[in-house]
Amino acid sequence: MKVLASCFLSPFAAVLNGTVKFQFQDDNWLKECYHKLMLDYPKFYKMDDLSKMAILSVELLKENAYLNNFNKDELELIFANSNASQHTDVKFIDSYTNIGNPSPSLFVYTLPNILTGELAIKHKWYGENTFLIASKFDTQLFENKLKHAQMKGAKHCLCGWVDSKVEKNGTLTQESFLFLVALNEENSTISEELEALFKKYKYLSTEKV
Amino acid sequence: MMKNNVYFSYGTFVSPIGIGVDQNFEALKEGNSGIQAHPSSGFNNENWFFAQLNNLEGNRYDSLLKTALNDLKVNYSSSILSSSKTLFILSSTKGNIYNLPEDVFASSRIIIQQETGNSNELIIVSNACISGVIALNTATDFLRYSDYETVIVIGIDVISDFVLYGFQSLYALSDQPVQPFDKDRKGISLGEACGIIVATKEKPTSFSVEYLGGASSNDANHISGPSRTGEGLYRAINKTIERAAIDKSSIDFISAHGTGTLYNDEMESIAFNRCDLQSIPINSLKGFYGHTLGAAGIIETIVSMLSIEHQLLIENKGFNELGTTHSLNIVTKTQQQPVKTVLKTASGFGGGNAVLLIQAAV
Repeated sequence: MKVLASCFLSPFAAVLNGTVKFQFQDDNWLKECYHKLMLDYPKFYKMDDLSKMAILSVELLKENAYLNNFNKDELELIFANSNASQHTDVKFIDSYTNIGNPSPSLFVYTLPNILTGELAIKHKWYGENTFLIASKFDTQLFENKLKHAQMKGAKHCLCGWVDSKVEKNGTLTQESFLFLVALNEENSTISEELEALFKKYKYLSTEKV
Repeated sequence: MMKNNVYFSYGTFVSPIGIGVDQNFEALKEGNSGIQAHPSSGFNNENWFFAQLNNLEGNRYDSLLKTALNDLKVNYSSSILSSSKTLFILSSTKGNIYNLPEDVFASSRIIIQQETGNSNELIIVSNACISGVIALNTATDFLRYSDYETVIVIGIDVISDFVLYGFQSLYALSDQPVQPFDKDRKGISLGEACGIIVATKEKPTSFSVEYLGGASSNDANHISGPSRTGEGLYRAINKTIERAAIDKSSIDFISAHGTGTLYNDEMESIAFNRCDLQSIPINSLKGFYGHTLGAAGIIETIVSMLSIEHQLLIENKGFNELGTTHSLNIVTKTQQQPVKTVLKTASGFGGGNAVLLIQAAV
């Protein structure tokens, strides 16, 4: 298996295949990224932050990877994070405890796998989907899932670690790491490469003082 | 491709109608539903119906998980549970939801490790209402392609104001007990439960079924509404049958999702007809247990195993008259019938669909 392309988004920068693509100035960095990518997808504004990060990450990846060439059933999606939908969960609780009514438009985003649904809708991907929760970015978990996909005949997997957490004081911790993997290569392990990419991209996309 | 056999056996089953698999089976045979009226439970004090456990103390999620694990320990030795060759998979949509805004999955990791002595990293599947079926498919992958002997799959979700108010806000709750596939169906009744299935490479000495195959597919259509063509479910069923390498005429029974909403049940009828499975006996168990979200795929697979073991199809509780535009062969009363091969399906938010096939072990 082999990483064909990878990208990382944080509130400070977007990294594509090892190079810093944009740096963000705006507090609303997701909107800024949407404009920088010249995306025209009005549904974007209705989404929660997890889905927005996933949508933007795929747009970024598309610049260098042939994501449009897959048949509709071919691409398997393997996504994970640490905080599930905690960020939207907190907003939904606020809608009925403080604002007055439970908000249906927030409730539908109180599941982490909605982001894979949004990706499937935008790109018409009907393939297999899994969403997993891990206490931290877990390269072994991805490697296991990739190996299973390979054994079952999949050729390519789009993997992602997309996480958003809100602290009690309102501080957000957000990151989105996507990587496209070809399964027909000989190399049977990928975790070291993923660990190195994740660390490097995290460093590249940290706020520069 | 070489396929190693995988077997499912009962772990345990804790629900409002029984503690343990046997009690649940007795309640199903007697037609006892766990769904009851809960006055003033709604956001504006509406009277909603749901299936709630009434003996959970303290944190209700943690209490349910501990109850289920204690029952599991009655039937499985600590040497199996704690083995490095044993993996635990948790299927849950919201985990310990009462712990928000803190980590809703932290307590599961601690409780499972403490109760079983197993120190492998817990695998957590959180894939909305298809979590349970995805978790069982994932368990099989870990047995076939990774170095484990036993994978223990726990499906669990509890009722909370959060989830009740959420479904209320979507106008998805029925003001009567749920009536899956019926012409008068008005929406879902929520439920809570914990089911555990033990998947192994070795055929166990106790009753087991053989796993034949499974798959998932996305509708690529809408995040909270089912596809009008049943696209994802149709694709997932076809892929499952292809992977299992069986003739679909050998399927004896379908354990459907059947949430009781207008659109979901209609979508399922379209998908089953597109797959030409409409004459196979089919039920939804939501009339007994309500919609138990992350537990649903597990507990409904357990009941499918009971159907195979006892050659008994369980009625689709709440059903009087078919209310889908495409025909289905609903099991209207509990009846003895030869059952060897069962198709289990699930569909959920995010456009996900997941399917698996099991068969009497020989």
